[in-house]
Amino acid sequence: MSMEDYDFLFKIVLIGNAGVGKTCLVRRFTQGLFPPGQGATIGVDFMIKTVEINGEKVKLQIWDTAGQERFRSITQSYYRSANALILTYDITCEESFRCLPEWLREIEQYASNKVITVLVGNKIDLAERREVSQQRAEEFSEAQDMYYLETSAKESDNVEKLFLDLACRLISEARQNTLVNNVASPLPGEGKSISYLTCCNFN
Amino acid sequence: MAIAYRHLLGQHNPSRGEWGPPWRSRKCSVGNKMADANSPIKLTGVAAAAAEGKGGGCCSELSAELIRSLTELQELEAVYERLCSEEKVVEEELDALLEQQSTIESKMITLQRMGPNLQLIEGDAKQLAGMITFTCSLAENVSSKVRQLDLAKNRLYQAIQRADDILDLKFCMDGVQTALRNEDYEQAAAHIHRYLSLDKSVIELSRQGKEGSMIDANLKLLQEAEQHLKAVVTEKFDIATKEGDLPQVERFFKIFPLLGLHEEGLSKFSEYLCKQVANKAEENLLLVLGTDMSDRRAAVIFADTLTLLFEGIARIVETHQPIVETYYGPGRLYTLIKHLQLECDQQVEKVVDKFIKQRDYHRQFQLVQNSMMRSSAAEKIEPRELDPILTEVTLMNARSELYLRFLKKRISSDFEVGDSMASEEVKQEHQKCLDKLLNHCLLSCTMQELIGYYITMEEYFMRETVNKAVALDTYEKGQLTSSMVDDVFYIVKKCIGRALSSSSIDCLCAMINLSTTELESDFREVLCNKLRMGFPATTFQDFQRGVTSAVNIMHSSLQQGKFDTKGIESTDEAKLSFLVTLNNVEVCSENISTLKTTLESDCTKLFSQGIGGEQAQAKFDSCLSDLAAVSNKFRDLLQEGLTELNSTAIKPQVKPWINIFLSVSHNIEEEEFNDYEANDPWVQQFILNLEQQMAEFKAGLSPVIYDSLTSLMTSLIAIELEKVVLKSTFNRLGGLQFDKELRSLIAYLTTVTTWTIRDKFARLSQMATILNLERVTEILDYWGANSGPLTWRLTPAEVRQVLALRIDFRSEDIKRLRL
Repeated sequence: MSMEDYDFLFKIVLIGNAGVGKTCLVRRFTQGLFPPGQGATIGVDFMIKTVEINGEKVKLQIWDTAGQERFRSITQSYYRSANALILTYDITCEESFRCLPEWLREIEQYASNKVITVLVGNKIDLAERREVSQQRAEEFSEAQDMYYLETSAKESDNVEKLFLDLACRLISEARQNTLVNNVASPLPGEGKSISYLTCCNFN
Repeated sequence: MAIAYRHLLGQHNPSRGEWGPPWRSRKCSVGNKMADANSPIKLTGVAAAAAEGKGGGCCSELSAELIRSLTELQELEAVYERLCSEEKVVEEELDALLEQQSTIESKMITLQRMGPNLQLIEGDAKQLAGMITFTCSLAENVSSKVRQLDLAKNRLYQAIQRADDILDLKFCMDGVQTALRNEDYEQAAAHIHRYLSLDKSVIELSRQGKEGSMIDANLKLLQEAEQHLKAVVTEKFDIATKEGDLPQVERFFKIFPLLGLHEEGLSKFSEYLCKQVANKAEENLLLVLGTDMSDRRAAVIFADTLTLLFEGIARIVETHQPIVETYYGPGRLYTLIKHLQLECDQQVEKVVDKFIKQRDYHRQFQLVQNSMMRSSAAEKIEPRELDPILTEVTLMNARSELYLRFLKKRISSDFEVGDSMASEEVKQEHQKCLDKLLNHCLLSCTMQELIGYYITMEEYFMRETVNKAVALDTYEKGQLTSSMVDDVFYIVKKCIGRALSSSSIDCLCAMINLSTTELESDFREVLCNKLRMGFPATTFQDFQRGVTSAVNIMHSSLQQGKFDTKGIESTDEAKLSFLVTLNNVEVCSENISTLKTTLESDCTKLFSQGIGGEQAQAKFDSCLSDLAAVSNKFRDLLQEGLTELNSTAIKPQVKPWINIFLSVSHNIEEEEFNDYEANDPWVQQFILNLEQQMAEFKAGLSPVIYDSLTSLMTSLIAIELEKVVLKSTFNRLGGLQFDKELRSLIAYLTTVTTWTIRDKFARLSQMATILNLERVTEILDYWGANSGPLTWRLTPAEVRQVLALRIDFRSEDIKRLRL
């Protein structure tokens, strides 16, 4: 892995009800496409995009999960290794918004406690059919301590921003972690093993 | 002369451009011979003079006034001589020119003769042009006629074609009647097919002809015959299907496309085939319900039933694909299979319904979910009970995947033939239809649902069985590891293997993810807890540690193995437990790497069959690399455990042994030195102690771990020994004694480790060298430029510090050293 050409590798998992546009968001970001009449995702899809942020190569592994109930046990198995979750709903579909607490329970249950969660309201190109007001969503996300963004995969609004902002936050988080690890007293094993490795290097 | 010459040239130059072609000027010069007085080579110059109409004397202009102004005889003579020579030259030139005159004249004559010829040529050319124009128009005339002829010919052909068509039409009309009368439906259909493939405008035109009314009547008859035939064929086909008369069914199936009824034919035919599928499926299902539970295949009877269903449909496709291809053309198989799949879906639903009912699938899932949620032991389902049903579900899914892959292959290749000339859009449309059929048919959805439940249940199975293996952990004397490691990896391998056998990549990846979680958090936690109980020391700490361990046991009594339920009745057992756990951790790390390699090779076969689309490999690789990363976490844990062992078990023992060094004087006389030789005061006992202590670890730890441990121990000894040396004092013989002691120690340690230990003891060896010096300044023989291959690990300050340990060295001498 270290042979590959990147500075950071992050796993991002998209979750949310069926038909809210997860696949379209991923396609728009990774391929610049908006495939109309996209069929329901089967299981999970997997895409990779490498972006450059402040001169650093960041490889994003994006897992696009199926929203349908019958794939839940498959998608849940991906939560734990995710660095970030993009919880998506459809602003023109009240139902998809009302299901969010249920999704949050799943995150609570399966994801790592260090995971970053972003709430995304998709399909703002269909503003005339909006059922969930921006204010309501913002209040909800604030209460749940989540970052919130409205996007349109069709018009490519905020899609780039969503993933790039997320990558930035993941980088700063990763930096902080290594910093904390360095400051904290080394684990019993670490200090010794290092000194002993350097000894070997002299030979 | 030179001046005049230049002047002459100067005059000529500006006017050169006005001059005509050279032959004209030549002519002029011939006309005016005076001009030829100049050199023939400078012909243009001469001509210039001539054109300007200058007199003959001009050539020797220098003379006229100059001569007149001359008075001296001498000068005159000189001028005269020059003039004479000039004249001579001019004469020679004139002669040369005159010689050329005849040639030039003859050329002129030739030219004059050519005049009339040129006129003739011009006339000829004009005539030729006229002829060409004429020929051209003639040719165009001719070709237009040819074109007309061609058109006429085409029309003629069309007329013949039309006449043929009309004749055919008549032939069809007669033929249909006869064929229908004879019940020769193939013949009749062939006639109708011919009629249908005729150009409609032809028929329209024929009606307008003289025999319009007759053709009209015939056409009407023909159309009636067509309708009649359609009705008859449909009816006969229905009868044949009802009677299950396959030859008749196929006979009429072949007639439909002749009548332009492709869709209807395919749908009617598939209706017939569906009925067959349904009948067979119902029979099979009844057989299932009557199966004795003791039957060899009873545990997978539903998977077998699905297999029979799929095989039946596959056989139908195999059998009838050639007929469809031949009589309906390529690209029609999709329609047939679409119809068949509807029936397949219905039959699958029935089988799966029965499966769910008979195997209590949903209730089992509910139970699993409940026990996972509450983790209460009350109504926990026995994982072993799930084993057969999990196997059956994966088998069912594997069969479905195989069947769907078969359909995909067949339809794709049929479309490929049919779409060979089609546009990219049509091809994509067809691909989309195919994907939709395969991914969203009820069969796929049902299987996805079953697999969804399966994953949760398999996870439960894995977790519970792992817990059981941990609870039943046993250790056999002589083994390095305990039973749970092998058991746990057997279970994980089994679960992932079962997921793999479902042929669903998503299912496999999910199980790999869940195994990663199980190993990384749950199982690693078990081992971690065991290590946290620590390695009991034998002395005073023993008591302390025993207390904390007991508390630990109470905390995690459920997850701990046999050792703990017994409590630490003896420290020996607790020690053994710790060492075995270390071995376990190491084997886990190894096993995970092995598991990864095994899975990789198992899956290459699967991927080579093209299962799971283009991303399958990438998904699998990613999940697998997460699993492999857990191996490193176990390595870290091992390192932690070893450090713990080193600091709690080895260090408390080794330190006092080393401290004894302090009580052995290294400020000794010859006599004592010799005495030490006979009765070793420290090092031999130290080595003996080490040997005894490490023997316990050597027996209880795997070679790799033991090696790491001895390595940690040697580091520890080096550090501790350095400390006591710096606290001691030495004289010359004491230094020699220490050097001997250190050499014995290094020699011993070298035999017990595979690592090179010289490096760890480099500082100590250098200290021994210093302590062995004759005088202070001798250090300079080894220091700086004189150090040779030796790399000093001691700083100059440390060197001084060590030198100061020698009581016989004066501190001023040490201070005076320049290091």
